[in-house]
This record gives sequence, C-alpha cells and structure tokens, in this order.
Amino acid sequence: MFSYIVRRLLVMVPTLLAISAIVFTIIQLPPGDYLSTMIAELQAQGETANLERIEFLRQQYGLDRTPVEQYFHWLFGLLHGDLGWSFEYNLPVAHVIGDRLVLSFLVAFTTVIFTYVVAFPIGIYSATHQYSWGDYGLTLLGFLGLATPSFLLALVMLYLANIWFGTSIGGLMDAEFIDKPMSGAKFLSVLEHLWIPVIVIGTSGTAAMIRRLRANLLDELQKQYVVTARAKGLPPHRALLKYPLRMSLNPFISDIGDLLPHLISGAAIVSVVMSLPTNGPMLLAALRSQDMYLAGSFLMIEAILIVVGVFLSDLALAALDPRIRLHGGATK
Amino acid sequence: MNVAARLIAALAVAGALAAAPALAYQETPWLADDVAAGRFPPVEKRLPESPLVVAPKRDDWKPGTPGGEMRMLIGRAQDVRMMSVFGYSRLVAFDTDLRLRPDILASVDNEGDRVFTLHLRAGHRWSDGRPFTSDDFRYYWQDVANNKELSPGGPPKVLLVDGKPPEVSYPDPLTVRYAWHAPNPGFLPALAGPVPLVIFRPGHYLRNFHARYSEHEVLARTARAHNARNWAQFHNRLDNLTRNDNPDLPTLDPWIVRTRAPSERFVFERNPYFHRVDAQGRQLPYIDRVILNVADGKILAAKTGSGESDLQARGLSFANYTFLRQAGKRNSFDTVLWDTAKGAQIALYPNLNVSDPVWRALMRDVRFRRALSLAIDRREINQVVYFGLAVEGANTVLPGSPLYTPELRSAWHGFDLAGANRLLDEIGLTKRDARGVRLMPDGRPLEIVVETAGEDTEQVDVLELIHDSWMRAGVKLYSRPQQREIFRNRIFAGETKMSVWFGLENGLATPDFSPEELAPVNQQGLQWPKWGQYFETNGASGEAVDMAPARELMGLNEAWRTAAGEARRAEIWKRMLAIHADEVFTIGVVANVRQPVVISGRLRNVPHKGIWNWDPGSFFGIYHMDTFWFDEKPLPRTAAVPAR
Repeated sequence: MFSYIVRRLLVMVPTLLAISAIVFTIIQLPPGDYLSTMIAELQAQGETANLERIEFLRQQYGLDRTPVEQYFHWLFGLLHGDLGWSFEYNLPVAHVIGDRLVLSFLVAFTTVIFTYVVAFPIGIYSATHQYSWGDYGLTLLGFLGLATPSFLLALVMLYLANIWFGTSIGGLMDAEFIDKPMSGAKFLSVLEHLWIPVIVIGTSGTAAMIRRLRANLLDELQKQYVVTARAKGLPPHRALLKYPLRMSLNPFISDIGDLLPHLISGAAIVSVVMSLPTNGPMLLAALRSQDMYLAGSFLMIEAILIVVGVFLSDLALAALDPRIRLHGGATK
Repeated sequence: MNVAARLIAALAVAGALAAAPALAYQETPWLADDVAAGRFPPVEKRLPESPLVVAPKRDDWKPGTPGGEMRMLIGRAQDVRMMSVFGYSRLVAFDTDLRLRPDILASVDNEGDRVFTLHLRAGHRWSDGRPFTSDDFRYYWQDVANNKELSPGGPPKVLLVDGKPPEVSYPDPLTVRYAWHAPNPGFLPALAGPVPLVIFRPGHYLRNFHARYSEHEVLARTARAHNARNWAQFHNRLDNLTRNDNPDLPTLDPWIVRTRAPSERFVFERNPYFHRVDAQGRQLPYIDRVILNVADGKILAAKTGSGESDLQARGLSFANYTFLRQAGKRNSFDTVLWDTAKGAQIALYPNLNVSDPVWRALMRDVRFRRALSLAIDRREINQVVYFGLAVEGANTVLPGSPLYTPELRSAWHGFDLAGANRLLDEIGLTKRDARGVRLMPDGRPLEIVVETAGEDTEQVDVLELIHDSWMRAGVKLYSRPQQREIFRNRIFAGETKMSVWFGLENGLATPDFSPEELAPVNQQGLQWPKWGQYFETNGASGEAVDMAPARELMGLNEAWRTAAGEARRAEIWKRMLAIHADEVFTIGVVANVRQPVVISGRLRNVPHKGIWNWDPGSFFGIYHMDTFWFDEKPLPRTAAVPAR
C-alpha cells in the first residue's frame, strides 16, 4: 500500500508539468495579449492609446519576452509559491484569488449538501418503488431540473425573490456588508441570498445524482444476497441501508475528485449571471481578457485539485470497500 | 470666440466673484466632530483663499443641504476610475455650454495659444492637507514627463509642437508657464478631458518612491517587495491620479477612494480640502459618501430596476427604458432620457485598406459607397428599433454643434433605391446571379460580410433591416459577430471588408476641438486603419495614403494644429466635414439614440435634460455631480416620453 501511494505521488509531478505547459499554450493561443484587450477597451471609451505608450507597457508587463521565456518565468514562480501578477487588477494573483475563496467554498459546500440531502431520499424512494406513480413523478421533476437552462432559472428566481421578498438582485449579501467583518446581520444576509444560487446550481446536479443512485440501487436490490437477507427476515430498512445502499455509493466517492475543483470555480456561468463574488466569474473574465498569469495560475490550482482529488478518492474507495482493498491479494 | 478670448471672459466673471463680499463659510456637519476635536482645521482654513463658487444657472438647480450617501453600480472593479470622470475636477473644465472655464486654476492667461500662464489658487490643498503649488507641476515636468525611466517615450504627444517640447517655468509658487514656439490649441482642451492630461503630481508623496529623492537600495527593495521590476514600474503604479486605484495618493477630486482593491464595493468619502463652495458658503461636494457596488454588466439594469442605485446611466441602454419606467413606480426612482453626442449610434465603415484587390477597388469607388448609403431605409430602422426617437442620417456633427448644417446629415443619406441601382449599374456591376445578387468584376457575387464587435444585439438587428433593402439593390449582406479584439485586429490587417461601430466620438464639436477623427491619422479609424498606422509610426508600418480626398483631409488636420484664430479653424473643420459628406467615408444610419438616466426620487439637481457623452462632457461631470444632494422626500416622477 505504501509503495502504491509513493508511486501515485511521483506520477503527479510529470502530470502537473504537462498540464502547466498545455494550460499556458492554450492561454497564449488566441491572437493578441492583455494589452490588445486593454487598448480595445480604451478605444470603446473614446480614449486613444498611442503606440509608444503601449510598447512601454508591453515591456513593463514583460510581454515583450518570448512565450517560452514567459512560461519558464511563470513556472519558476509557481514552484516558489508565487502565482504571478494580475494585469487587470494590478495586484498579485494570490491576493486577487484569495479574497473570494471563502465565499466560493461556502457556495460549493452548501450546494453539495443540498444535492445530497435532496437526491438520496428521492433516489432511494425511486429505486424501491420502481415504476410507481411516485417514481414517475419524481423522475419527471428530476428531468425538468436537468433540462432547464440554469442561467434562465437563475434570472427568474432573482426577479421573483426581489419582487416577493425584497432580496437585492445578485451577489451573496446586501451591499452594505461587503468587506465588513462577519456578524449576525451579515450572516443572515448571506443566508438570504445563498439559497437561490444553491438551488440553481444544485438542481441539475441533483437530477443527475437521483438517476445514478436509482440505477445503482436497482442493480444491487436484485442481487441474491438481498433476497437472502429478506428471506432470513432482516428488517426491510436494514436490508436496504446496511448493504445495497453502501454498495451503490462507490460512484459518489469516486466523484470527490471532481468536487474539489468545483469548490474553486464551479458553475461559472450561473455565477456570472448572478454576479456572485466567487472565483468562477473571475476565471472567465481573466481568460477573456488574456490576463494570462491570473488565468494560468487559476487553472493550475484546479489541475492540482483534480489530481489530488482523484488520488484521495482512490484512497477513500480502497479504505471503504474491502472488495477493492483486498483485490490484489485475493485468491479464491 | 476662441479659447483665449473665452478664458478672458471667464476671468472677468471670476474677477466679479472675487470682488463680491467674502462668503461666510459654513462648517460641513460630517466633519464637525473632527474639526472640534482638532483632527481637521475649520472650513475657512481648508478652502483656498478664493474658492470656486458653483451656482449653475439652471431652472431646476437649487442650493442643497450637505450629507447623505449615494449608491451607484459599476460593471467591473476597474470602473472606479469613473469617479474621477464624474467628479470632474480639472485645471480648466468645460461648462454645460462646452466652454472652458478655470476650475482648479484661479485663471489662465493665454497669449495666442502659444504661451499659457496658469495661476493657482492661494491656499489650495491636496486631500491630505499639504499645499498644492507650482512645485507639483515641476515634479511632473522634470521628474515624471522628462524622466527617461518613468517616461521612456518622453512627454505626451499633445505637449509637443512639431516634435519640440515647451519651455516650462515656475515664476512663483502660484504660477506656472508653458511656452511653445508655435501655437498649441490642443493644450487646454486636453487638460479638460474625461481622462485629462494631468500636468501635476502630488510631489510630496511620490518623492518617496522616486530614485532622485530616495535611496536606491531601499527603493529597489520596496519595489521588489511589491512585485515590481524596478522603481519606475512601482512609481508608475502608484501615481495615477485618474484611476482611483491607490487610496494613499493625495488628490484634488471631490471624493477620495477609501477602499483598497480587490473589492466588490468601493467607498469614496468627501475630500475635506475640496476647492469649491456653493453661493451659501457651504463647501462642496454636498454628498458625504459615494458607494460604487460592482455587479456583472448583464444584471446592472435589473439591479437598477430593483432600486439599488441612486444615480445610474452606465450599463443601461435604450432598450431598458420601458422596464425602468415600470420598476420606478415600485422603487421610487425616476428615469429620464438624455441626448447622446456621438456622430452616429450605428455607422458602417467600408475598409478602404482591405487586402482583396477587387474589393479594395470597389470600396474606394465613391459611387459604390454612395450607392450603399442610398440603399438604407433609415426611417424604417428608426421606427422598428428605436420607437422613432432617433435621428436619421449621416455620421457627422449633430444639430447642437456650431459646425452643423442640415446638408451634412442628408447628403447621400436619403433612401433612394433607384439612385442606388443606377450608381451600381454605372460602376459596371450589371450582371446578376439567380438570387438577383450582382456579380463583381471577377465573377464573385457581391456579398459583403459586415463584422460587428458582437456585444449587443442592437447592431445585428439593424443589419438585418439593412440586409433587406440592400438586397433590393442587388447587394447581399451577412453580419458576423466577432470577439472585440479579433474584430479590431482583422480590420487592422485588412481582412475585414466592412465593419459596424459607433460614429464620430464628438458630435458636438466646436472649431476648438481637434478634427483628427476625420483624418487618416490613427490606426483606430476603422475605414482606413493602414493609413492611420502609417502616420502613427512615421511610415514604419502601414500604407501611405494614396487617395486624393484622404490626403487632403490629412493636410487639413495638420493645418488645424497650427491654425491661428477660431475663424480659420472653423473653416478647416467645415471643409473636412464637407469632404466627408461628399465622399461617404463612413455610412451613418441613426444618431442620438437616447440614454436612460435613473435618478433616485430623493436626489436633487440632476438635470432631466442633458447630454450623455464621454468627451466633451465626462458623463455627469459637466453637470457638477458635487452639487447633487438628497432631499427628505421623493419628488413625483416625470412623464414618460411617448413613442411616436
């Protein structure tokens, strides 16, 4: 087991290096650089930017170096924990990202909880009452959730919440609490705003999870050990929760690898529509304006989280499911 | 009247004010406690000896009471710089009649647009209470503009005449003199722009970061600690007076930024040393705090509709007008429509530098450009997209400009399909394919791809309507949205045949404004990017102008720069406008599509009729945002503009 962990950790190094090269290349692919974005924006305002000044800025930002030089400069910084400089914000990247992390985590975490709390009972019900009215009804609801474009749902809910409850549109709290230390009133304001993004982002995930849980559970319920358990008189809820449900959980644990990056930039589009102060909209803006160190470092953090997440979920699976853990040494 | 004469007239007014009995200043309630505790000097010590007295002569303007907090929305954190545009504190500033008046300066003496003597207000202070003197001008000229490391390109172009810099002298702490060997009429307007040429810096603060005044070792270490390559980059980052990105930088604006980026909410507080008062002796601004909340551009209108902004125009478009009127009933705000000053809301730019030789020949044929213009049904577009509220016609100056004549807007810009067809036949484009689309000389169908920056659907809607009427002239139009940078780069490279963008930036030009938008001197001129690039790079890249009318425009632009006297400048302007009208270098569609302005029911002194423009105008700037104030009760809402 120990050598397995070490091997997995060592493989991560070349993987991440490869990812960093790909990330940087893709960011550099579109024509132009951050300065051309800036010039276009100045122009739209009616300001003119003269070529000399632009050349000067290009040199100041280090954009006059070759892409290869820029890449190694960035990589070198990353290895030292320096994420680089954001042109757009004129601040270190770590500073820009850091501020939004807490709220990003809050939204993502609440959404995951919401998804589980809704999906598990419904999924279990649907599986145990297959082809009943309840199953069909809930399945229909789930498909509706999956099919509704989430940005549309977001706009409708924002509008209704404003009209009915007077909740301010967009954001995660009333404006007067921004940059204030946490307090009871601020917490309430966050709660008041949080439920809309949680429902909107959670709906599609919930629907997908209901379907998967239902399918897995149905497979398990038909196996002979369940029939045997029932025949031997195990109470129905025990015969359901103790074994078949546990078996059908494996896919969710291997999902953890996907969850981690979501904590950073999940649901970017919905967050943009709702103007959430999370990291998703910032990543999108950085990519659009070719704020390359911000975008690059963002993507690298995500890549690291995915790699680590997959590793962790593999470990968790092995720990939770003896079939996987013992597979190597099993001889029948 | 030229700028010089105007300033002299303004001086006379200023003199009359100074002669009036001294005002009894009233302490600002917001600062009263601090003054009592000795943290700030009293109001008469904070104001210059002769402050600027603001009393706009408008029927709907009333002196107000200080206090309150104004909320506004911005689409991106970087838009905090809008506060310096709105606040509009300049050395000299435009008034609502677009005449230049001294603002920060007490007065300006102008000798033939060549020698400018700037007189500061005695006792004027930076927002940190330190005196504002000619030394701050010296710091800019010697230590910033002429420092090789801070400004490798040398002083800004507008400060050079024939490539030569002015002689700058500082006779005493309150006097600065800029002297050129030849006239530089662009100098004063550049000081009054929305993002002005700032020819002073808070020297006492920036000195700490300048290699000439601080020890190299220490400075280099500080710069490195702040992730800057060298001291110059660090200094440049700190010294921007128009961007509000450094809360430590002393300023002369009405409000000072107090929030350090990054944030989603920026708080501005009143500048205790601001140099303007009202006629009652109350120091301006009236409003104590301005809060800018950042929200995504797409939900600005919705947020404004829910009453989350007290004064909003940015992020709102004409299409939001009905929604905002409706929402105003619920949330007690008024929505009025301001005029806009662009030469056209929508203009087509035939690319005279397009790479394809067949297309280039066509685009350069004036008959082709005229025919395309005649084949647009502007009345229909106005009715369908703009409720009939826009102005139809060419991309040229608006009726509010002294240079305007009706012919400029109507020439070659009526709807005349027969005329258009006749012109196209005349060129020799007589063969047509099965769809009725004309064939080009080399046999390709006449299909024009019009590229848009793809930011709003309005342009695409209009193009859809143009498509129908062009089709009747045998021209097929395709619209193609692009990402904004790609949009520009394709035009610059000559890949784009035709693009759609706004018209002239300043439709209200007077002869004193530079006519350079009308001449091929800038790469950003979408109809002649390569000629503009050629001029900008002094021939290093781009293409030389090889069309007689364009060359004449270029010559006229040069002539304007050194023209003496307003009459001569007006003459040049009129000639340039006439060439444009006749040559149809851009095809205007509609202009003056109005800008909705949302005003909280409690907010006073915001004019209900105004001009929403960047330069000149600085958006709310010329309407004195420092004199906006909050009343106790909301006013009744104005009537909506009826659709025609």
